[in-house]
Amino acid sequence: MILYDYVLSASCYKIRLMAALSGQKLELQAVNFHPAREHKSPEMLKLNPGGTLPILRDEDLIMTDSSDMLRHLTRNLPEWQGDDDGWLDFARTLNETLGMARLHDVLGFEVDIDAARKRGVHLLRLLEAHLTEQRFDGMIFLTGDTPTIADIACFPNTALAPDGGVSLDVYPSIRLWMRALRSLPGFIEMPGIHRLHELEAAE
Amino acid sequence: MTRLWGIVLNWIAVGLAEDIPVGTVVPRRVDGLDLAIWRSGLGRFHAWDDRCPHRGMRLSHGFVRGEVLACVYHGWQYNLDGACDYIPAHPDLTPPKTICANTYVCETRNQALWVALGTVNGDVPDIGDRIPIRSLDISCGAPAIARYFDHPQDPLIVLRGKYDLAIALQPSTSRSCFAHVFAGAGQDKKIVSRYVEKLRDELEAA
Repeated sequence: MILYDYVLSASCYKIRLMAALSGQKLELQAVNFHPAREHKSPEMLKLNPGGTLPILRDEDLIMTDSSDMLRHLTRNLPEWQGDDDGWLDFARTLNETLGMARLHDVLGFEVDIDAARKRGVHLLRLLEAHLTEQRFDGMIFLTGDTPTIADIACFPNTALAPDGGVSLDVYPSIRLWMRALRSLPGFIEMPGIHRLHELEAAE
Repeated sequence: MTRLWGIVLNWIAVGLAEDIPVGTVVPRRVDGLDLAIWRSGLGRFHAWDDRCPHRGMRLSHGFVRGEVLACVYHGWQYNLDGACDYIPAHPDLTPPKTICANTYVCETRNQALWVALGTVNGDVPDIGDRIPIRSLDISCGAPAIARYFDHPQDPLIVLRGKYDLAIALQPSTSRSCFAHVFAGAGQDKKIVSRYVEKLRDELEAA
Protein backbone atom coordinates (compact mmCIF):
# COMPACT_ATOMS: atom_id res chain seq x y z
CA MET A 1 0.00 0.00 0.00
CA ILE A 2 1.24 3.47 -0.91
CA LEU A 3 0.34 6.50 1.19
CA TYR A 4 0.74 9.86 -0.52
CA ASP A 5 1.75 11.71 2.55
CA TYR A 6 2.55 15.11 4.06
CA VAL A 7 4.28 14.95 7.41
CA LEU A 8 2.45 17.92 9.00
CA SER A 9 -1.03 16.78 7.90
CA ALA A 10 -3.25 15.55 10.73
CA SER A 11 -5.23 13.39 8.28
CA CYS A 12 -2.11 11.75 6.83
CA TYR A 13 -0.90 11.06 10.39
CA LYS A 14 -4.21 9.27 11.14
CA ILE A 15 -3.39 6.74 8.43
CA ARG A 16 0.28 6.35 9.41
CA LEU A 17 -0.78 5.88 13.05
CA MET A 18 -3.47 3.31 12.23
CA ALA A 19 -1.02 1.32 10.11
CA ALA A 20 1.65 1.47 12.82
CA LEU A 21 -0.70 0.42 15.62
CA SER A 22 -1.97 -2.53 13.58
CA GLY A 23 1.51 -3.54 12.41
CA GLN A 24 0.99 -2.81 8.71
CA LYS A 25 3.68 -1.47 6.46
CA LEU A 26 2.95 1.56 4.30
CA GLU A 27 5.13 2.77 1.49
CA LEU A 28 5.26 6.53 2.08
CA GLN A 29 5.36 8.86 -0.90
CA ALA A 30 6.13 12.35 0.37
CA VAL A 31 4.11 15.11 -1.33
CA ASN A 32 5.25 18.72 -1.05
CA PHE A 33 1.92 20.13 0.17
CA HIS A 34 3.50 23.33 1.45
CA PRO A 35 4.91 25.45 -0.01
CA ALA A 36 4.97 23.72 -3.45
CA ARG A 37 1.25 22.73 -3.50
CA GLU A 38 2.30 19.51 -5.21
CA HIS A 39 -1.07 17.94 -4.29
CA LYS A 40 -2.60 20.25 -6.93
CA SER A 41 -0.10 19.20 -9.63
CA PRO A 42 -1.44 17.51 -12.81
CA GLU A 43 0.09 14.15 -11.78
CA MET A 44 -1.56 14.23 -8.34
CA LEU A 45 -4.91 15.48 -9.74
CA LYS A 46 -4.88 12.50 -12.09
CA LEU A 47 -4.74 10.32 -8.97
CA ASN A 48 -7.20 12.41 -6.92
CA PRO A 49 -9.24 14.99 -8.87
CA GLY A 50 -10.28 16.48 -5.51
CA GLY A 51 -6.70 17.63 -4.96
CA THR A 52 -6.53 16.57 -1.30
CA LEU A 53 -4.21 14.50 0.87
CA PRO A 54 -3.90 11.80 2.04
CA ILE A 55 -4.34 9.38 -0.82
CA LEU A 56 -4.04 5.66 -0.13
CA ARG A 57 -3.43 3.27 -2.99
CA ASP A 58 -3.84 -0.47 -2.54
CA GLU A 59 -3.10 -1.94 -5.99
CA ASP A 60 -6.03 -0.75 -8.16
CA LEU A 61 -8.00 0.72 -5.27
CA ILE A 62 -7.47 4.44 -4.70
CA MET A 63 -8.93 6.04 -1.56
CA THR A 64 -9.11 9.79 -0.92
CA ASP A 65 -11.23 9.86 2.25
CA SER A 66 -9.41 9.18 5.51
CA SER A 67 -12.43 7.40 7.05
CA ASP A 68 -12.48 5.01 4.07
CA MET A 69 -8.76 4.42 4.58
CA LEU A 70 -9.21 3.61 8.29
CA ARG A 71 -11.97 1.14 7.39
CA HIS A 72 -9.83 -0.39 4.68
CA LEU A 73 -6.81 -0.82 6.96
CA THR A 74 -8.95 -2.54 9.62
CA ARG A 75 -11.32 -4.51 7.35
CA ASN A 76 -9.89 -7.79 8.68
CA LEU A 77 -9.26 -6.53 12.22
CA PRO A 78 -12.54 -6.66 14.17
CA GLU A 79 -10.75 -5.58 17.37
CA TRP A 80 -10.32 -2.14 15.79
CA GLN A 81 -13.99 -1.84 14.88
CA GLY A 82 -16.74 -0.45 17.11
CA ASP A 83 -19.71 1.85 16.91
CA ASP A 84 -17.60 4.19 14.80
CA ASP A 85 -19.86 5.95 12.25
CA GLY A 86 -20.85 8.95 14.36
CA TRP A 87 -17.29 9.50 15.51
CA LEU A 88 -15.93 9.37 11.97
CA ASP A 89 -18.38 12.20 11.14
CA PHE A 90 -17.29 13.97 14.31
CA ALA A 91 -13.65 13.65 13.23
CA ARG A 92 -14.57 15.38 9.97
CA THR A 93 -16.02 18.34 11.89
CA LEU A 94 -12.87 18.46 14.06
CA ASN A 95 -10.86 18.74 10.85
CA GLU A 96 -13.08 21.57 9.57
CA THR A 97 -12.69 23.58 12.79
CA LEU A 98 -9.60 22.78 14.91
CA GLY A 99 -7.82 21.49 11.80
CA MET A 100 -8.48 24.70 9.86
CA ALA A 101 -7.50 26.87 12.85
CA ARG A 102 -4.18 25.02 12.89
CA LEU A 103 -3.66 25.47 9.12
CA HIS A 104 -4.37 29.18 9.67
CA ASP A 105 -1.79 29.50 12.43
CA VAL A 106 0.86 27.13 11.06
CA LEU A 107 0.65 27.54 7.27
CA GLY A 108 -1.13 30.89 6.92
CA PHE A 109 -4.37 29.57 5.40
CA GLU A 110 -7.19 32.09 5.05
CA VAL A 111 -9.77 31.01 7.60
CA ASP A 112 -12.42 32.74 9.74
CA ILE A 113 -10.20 32.02 12.73
CA ASP A 114 -12.54 33.18 15.51
CA ALA A 115 -15.40 31.06 14.15
CA ALA A 116 -13.12 28.04 13.66
CA ARG A 117 -11.81 28.23 17.24
CA LYS A 118 -15.26 28.84 18.73
CA ARG A 119 -16.76 25.83 16.94
CA GLY A 120 -13.68 23.82 17.86
CA VAL A 121 -14.15 24.59 21.56
CA HIS A 122 -17.80 23.52 21.27
CA LEU A 123 -16.68 20.17 19.80
CA LEU A 124 -14.03 19.68 22.51
CA ARG A 125 -16.72 20.21 25.16
CA LEU A 126 -18.86 17.52 23.49
CA LEU A 127 -15.87 15.17 23.33
CA GLU A 128 -14.97 15.87 26.98
CA ALA A 129 -18.56 15.21 28.08
CA HIS A 130 -18.67 11.89 26.24
CA LEU A 131 -15.26 10.73 27.49
CA THR A 132 -16.23 11.72 31.04
CA GLU A 133 -19.34 9.55 30.81
CA GLN A 134 -17.23 6.72 29.38
CA ARG A 135 -14.97 7.02 32.45
CA PHE A 136 -18.02 6.77 34.75
CA ASP A 137 -18.57 3.39 33.08
CA GLY A 138 -14.93 2.41 33.54
CA MET A 139 -13.94 2.93 29.90
CA ILE A 140 -11.23 5.20 28.55
CA PHE A 141 -11.82 5.08 24.77
CA LEU A 142 -14.64 6.53 22.65
CA THR A 143 -16.61 3.36 22.00
CA GLY A 144 -15.37 0.96 24.67
CA ASP A 145 -12.40 -0.12 26.72
CA THR A 146 -10.21 -0.77 23.70
CA PRO A 147 -9.38 1.71 20.94
CA THR A 148 -11.10 1.60 17.54
CA ILE A 149 -10.84 3.63 14.34
CA ALA A 150 -13.16 6.16 16.05
CA ASP A 151 -10.36 7.07 18.46
CA ILE A 152 -7.70 7.15 15.75
CA ALA A 153 -9.90 9.41 13.58
CA CYS A 154 -10.55 11.94 16.36
CA PHE A 155 -7.13 11.91 18.03
CA PRO A 156 -4.86 13.94 15.68
CA ASN A 157 -6.89 17.14 15.30
CA THR A 158 -7.73 17.07 19.01
CA ALA A 159 -4.13 16.61 20.12
CA LEU A 160 -2.95 19.34 17.71
CA ALA A 161 -5.60 21.87 18.85
CA PRO A 162 -3.00 24.03 20.68
CA ASP A 163 -1.23 24.57 17.31
CA GLY A 164 -4.42 26.38 16.25
CA GLY A 165 -4.61 28.47 19.41
CA VAL A 166 -7.11 26.25 21.28
CA SER A 167 -5.98 25.09 24.72
CA LEU A 168 -6.59 21.55 25.99
CA ASP A 169 -5.81 22.49 29.61
CA VAL A 170 -9.45 22.38 30.76
CA TYR A 171 -10.35 18.90 29.49
CA PRO A 172 -9.21 16.26 32.02
CA SER A 173 -10.95 13.35 30.29
CA ILE A 174 -9.57 14.30 26.87
CA ARG A 175 -6.07 14.45 28.38
CA LEU A 176 -6.43 11.00 29.92
CA TRP A 177 -7.82 9.62 26.64
CA MET A 178 -4.88 11.07 24.70
CA ARG A 179 -2.49 9.62 27.25
CA ALA A 180 -4.08 6.17 26.82
CA LEU A 181 -3.67 6.44 23.05
CA ARG A 182 -0.07 7.60 23.35
CA SER A 183 0.63 4.60 25.60
CA LEU A 184 -0.46 2.04 22.98
CA PRO A 185 2.20 -0.37 21.73
CA GLY A 186 3.45 0.73 18.33
CA PHE A 187 2.40 4.37 18.83
CA ILE A 188 4.22 6.75 16.48
CA GLU A 189 4.76 10.50 16.73
CA MET A 190 4.31 13.43 14.40
CA PRO A 191 5.54 17.02 14.84
CA GLY A 192 3.38 18.39 17.68
CA ILE A 193 2.43 14.97 19.10
CA HIS A 194 5.14 13.26 21.10
CA ARG A 195 5.49 9.93 22.82
CA LEU A 196 5.25 9.59 26.60
CA HIS A 197 8.71 10.36 27.93
CA GLU A 198 8.00 8.67 31.21
CA LEU A 199 7.79 5.30 29.44
CA GLU A 200 11.45 5.53 28.46
CA ALA A 201 13.99 3.82 30.66
CA ALA A 202 15.32 6.13 33.35
CA GLU A 203 18.95 7.10 32.89
CA MET B 1 -4.60 34.48 52.09
CA THR B 2 -5.43 35.48 48.55
CA ARG B 3 -8.17 37.94 47.70
CA LEU B 4 -9.65 38.07 44.20
CA TRP B 5 -12.51 40.42 43.34
CA GLY B 6 -13.57 40.59 46.96
CA ILE B 7 -13.58 36.82 47.34
CA VAL B 8 -11.27 35.51 50.02
CA LEU B 9 -9.41 32.45 48.82
CA ASN B 10 -7.37 30.79 51.52
CA TRP B 11 -7.49 27.55 49.61
CA ILE B 12 -8.12 27.31 45.89
CA ALA B 13 -9.51 24.13 44.37
CA VAL B 14 -7.43 22.97 41.42
CA GLY B 15 -8.95 19.63 40.50
CA LEU B 16 -10.04 16.11 41.28
CA ALA B 17 -7.44 13.60 42.42
CA GLU B 18 -8.73 10.95 40.00
CA ASP B 19 -8.02 13.20 37.00
CA ILE B 20 -4.30 13.26 37.81
CA PRO B 21 -3.04 9.66 37.93
CA VAL B 22 0.23 8.75 39.63
CA GLY B 23 3.17 9.83 37.47
CA THR B 24 1.43 12.65 35.60
CA VAL B 25 1.50 16.45 35.53
CA VAL B 26 -1.22 18.89 34.45
CA PRO B 27 -1.40 22.67 33.96
CA ARG B 28 -3.81 24.81 35.99
CA ARG B 29 -4.33 28.58 35.97
CA VAL B 30 -5.31 30.70 38.97
CA ASP B 31 -5.97 34.38 38.24
CA GLY B 32 -3.51 34.25 35.38
CA LEU B 33 -0.86 32.44 37.46
CA ASP B 34 0.20 29.22 35.73
CA LEU B 35 0.69 26.20 37.97
CA ALA B 36 1.99 22.71 37.26
CA ILE B 37 0.19 20.15 39.44
CA TRP B 38 1.94 16.80 39.53
CA ARG B 39 1.61 13.50 41.30
CA SER B 40 4.72 11.56 42.22
CA GLY B 41 5.21 7.83 41.89
CA LEU B 42 4.27 7.43 45.54
CA GLY B 43 1.06 9.37 44.94
CA ARG B 44 1.85 12.74 46.58
CA PHE B 45 0.47 15.88 44.90
CA HIS B 46 2.61 18.96 44.33
CA ALA B 47 1.80 22.45 43.03
CA TRP B 48 4.59 24.52 41.53
CA ASP B 49 4.93 27.54 39.29
CA ASP B 50 4.58 26.21 35.75
CA ARG B 51 8.01 27.46 34.85
CA CYS B 52 11.38 25.72 34.75
CA PRO B 53 13.96 27.91 36.54
CA HIS B 54 16.44 27.10 33.78
CA ARG B 55 14.82 28.39 30.56
CA GLY B 56 11.23 29.10 31.52
CA MET B 57 9.69 26.08 29.77
CA ARG B 58 6.31 25.05 31.18
CA LEU B 59 6.97 22.24 33.66
CA SER B 60 3.50 20.89 32.86
CA HIS B 61 4.97 19.81 29.51
CA GLY B 62 7.49 17.79 31.52
CA PHE B 63 7.38 14.26 32.84
CA VAL B 64 7.36 12.51 36.18
CA ARG B 65 9.92 9.85 36.95
CA GLY B 66 9.30 8.39 40.36
CA GLU B 67 9.71 11.18 42.89
CA VAL B 68 11.06 13.83 40.52
CA LEU B 69 9.54 16.12 37.91
CA ALA B 70 11.73 16.56 34.84
CA CYS B 71 11.55 19.46 32.39
CA VAL B 72 10.91 18.36 28.80
CA TYR B 73 13.38 20.94 27.41
CA HIS B 74 16.77 19.90 28.89
CA GLY B 75 15.73 17.17 31.29
CA TRP B 76 16.59 19.05 34.49
CA GLN B 77 15.10 17.10 37.38
CA TYR B 78 13.44 18.65 40.43
CA ASN B 79 12.89 16.75 43.66
CA LEU B 80 9.89 16.92 45.99
CA ASP B 81 11.15 20.18 47.55
CA GLY B 82 11.39 21.81 44.13
CA ALA B 83 15.20 21.74 44.22
CA CYS B 84 17.06 20.77 41.06
CA ASP B 85 19.08 17.66 41.81
CA TYR B 86 20.17 16.48 38.38
CA ILE B 87 21.25 18.18 35.15
CA PRO B 88 21.70 15.59 32.37
CA ALA B 89 24.24 17.71 30.46
CA HIS B 90 26.44 17.86 33.61
CA PRO B 91 25.90 14.47 35.24
CA ASP B 92 28.72 14.94 37.78
CA LEU B 93 27.59 18.37 38.94
CA THR B 94 25.72 18.88 42.19
CA PRO B 95 23.33 21.69 41.17
CA PRO B 96 23.47 24.80 43.37
CA LYS B 97 20.64 25.07 45.90
CA THR B 98 19.49 28.31 44.29
CA ILE B 99 18.11 26.39 41.30
CA CYS B 100 14.69 25.70 42.71
CA ALA B 101 11.15 25.63 41.35
CA ASN B 102 8.69 27.90 43.14
CA THR B 103 6.41 25.65 45.23
CA TYR B 104 3.03 26.05 46.94
CA VAL B 105 1.24 24.08 49.64
CA CYS B 106 -0.99 21.46 48.01
CA GLU B 107 -3.41 19.25 49.94
CA THR B 108 -6.02 16.64 49.10
CA ARG B 109 -9.21 16.18 51.05
CA ASN B 110 -12.10 13.94 49.97
CA GLN B 111 -10.55 13.50 46.52
CA ALA B 112 -10.44 17.28 46.02
CA LEU B 113 -7.12 19.05 45.38
CA TRP B 114 -6.47 22.40 47.05
CA VAL B 115 -3.61 24.88 46.75
CA ALA B 116 -2.69 27.74 49.10
CA LEU B 117 -0.99 30.52 47.18
CA GLY B 118 -0.18 32.64 50.21
CA THR B 119 0.28 31.85 53.86
CA VAL B 120 -1.77 28.83 54.87
CA ASN B 121 -4.79 30.15 56.72
CA GLY B 122 -7.49 27.86 58.06
CA ASP B 123 -8.37 24.27 57.30
CA VAL B 124 -8.69 22.79 53.85
CA PRO B 125 -12.37 23.25 52.86
CA ASP B 126 -14.59 20.25 53.51
CA ILE B 127 -16.86 19.00 50.74
CA GLY B 128 -18.23 16.38 53.10
CA ASP B 129 -18.89 12.86 51.92
CA ARG B 130 -19.73 13.98 48.40
CA ILE B 131 -18.06 12.16 45.54
CA PRO B 132 -16.09 13.79 42.71
CA ILE B 133 -18.01 14.21 39.44
CA ARG B 134 -15.90 16.26 37.05
CA SER B 135 -14.12 19.56 36.39
CA LEU B 136 -15.45 21.82 33.66
CA ASP B 137 -14.55 25.24 32.35
CA ILE B 138 -17.10 28.04 32.48
CA SER B 139 -16.58 31.23 30.48
CA CYS B 140 -17.71 33.47 33.35
CA GLY B 141 -15.82 35.24 36.08
CA ALA B 142 -16.09 33.97 39.66
CA PRO B 143 -18.09 36.98 40.95
CA ALA B 144 -20.71 36.53 38.20
CA ILE B 145 -21.09 32.87 39.13
CA ALA B 146 -21.31 33.67 42.85
CA ARG B 147 -23.98 36.29 42.10
CA TYR B 148 -25.92 33.88 39.87
CA PHE B 149 -26.22 31.39 42.70
CA ASP B 150 -26.94 34.20 45.16
CA HIS B 151 -24.12 32.79 47.17
CA PRO B 152 -21.98 34.50 49.80
CA GLN B 153 -18.55 35.36 48.48
CA ASP B 154 -17.07 31.97 49.02
CA PRO B 155 -15.40 29.95 46.27
CA LEU B 156 -17.11 26.76 47.49
CA ILE B 157 -20.72 26.87 46.35
CA VAL B 158 -23.04 24.34 47.96
CA LEU B 159 -26.37 23.75 46.23
CA ARG B 160 -29.12 21.74 47.83
CA GLY B 161 -31.81 22.07 45.18
CA LYS B 162 -32.69 19.32 42.73
CA TYR B 163 -29.27 17.80 43.33
CA ASP B 164 -26.91 17.93 46.30
CA LEU B 165 -23.86 19.59 44.78
CA ALA B 166 -20.65 21.26 45.91
CA ILE B 167 -18.95 23.35 43.24
CA ALA B 168 -15.44 24.59 44.04
CA LEU B 169 -14.44 27.45 41.77
CA GLN B 170 -10.93 27.86 40.48
CA PRO B 171 -10.85 31.42 39.08
CA SER B 172 -8.63 30.90 36.02
CA THR B 173 -8.85 34.43 34.63
CA SER B 174 -11.12 37.41 35.25
CA ARG B 175 -13.53 35.95 32.67
CA SER B 176 -13.30 32.20 33.24
CA CYS B 177 -13.45 29.58 35.95
CA PHE B 178 -12.62 25.92 36.19
CA ALA B 179 -15.46 24.44 38.26
CA HIS B 180 -14.75 21.30 40.26
CA VAL B 181 -18.03 19.51 40.92
CA PHE B 182 -18.87 17.06 43.71
CA ALA B 183 -22.23 15.43 44.36
CA GLY B 184 -23.89 13.67 47.26
CA ALA B 185 -23.40 9.92 47.17
CA GLY B 186 -26.09 7.89 45.46
CA GLN B 187 -26.78 10.39 42.70
CA ASP B 188 -26.32 9.25 39.09
CA LYS B 189 -22.99 10.69 37.90
CA LYS B 190 -24.11 11.00 34.27
CA ILE B 191 -27.29 12.84 35.21
CA VAL B 192 -25.34 15.21 37.48
CA SER B 193 -22.71 15.74 34.78
CA ARG B 194 -25.40 16.69 32.24
CA TYR B 195 -27.10 18.92 34.80
CA VAL B 196 -23.94 20.94 35.42
CA GLU B 197 -23.48 21.30 31.66
CA LYS B 198 -26.96 22.82 31.58
CA LEU B 199 -26.00 25.12 34.48
CA ARG B 200 -22.94 26.17 32.48
CA ASP B 201 -25.09 26.97 29.43
CA GLU B 202 -27.36 29.11 31.62
CA LEU B 203 -24.42 30.92 33.22
CA GLU B 204 -22.73 31.63 29.91
CA ALA B 205 -26.00 32.88 28.38
CA ALA B 206 -26.79 35.10 31.38
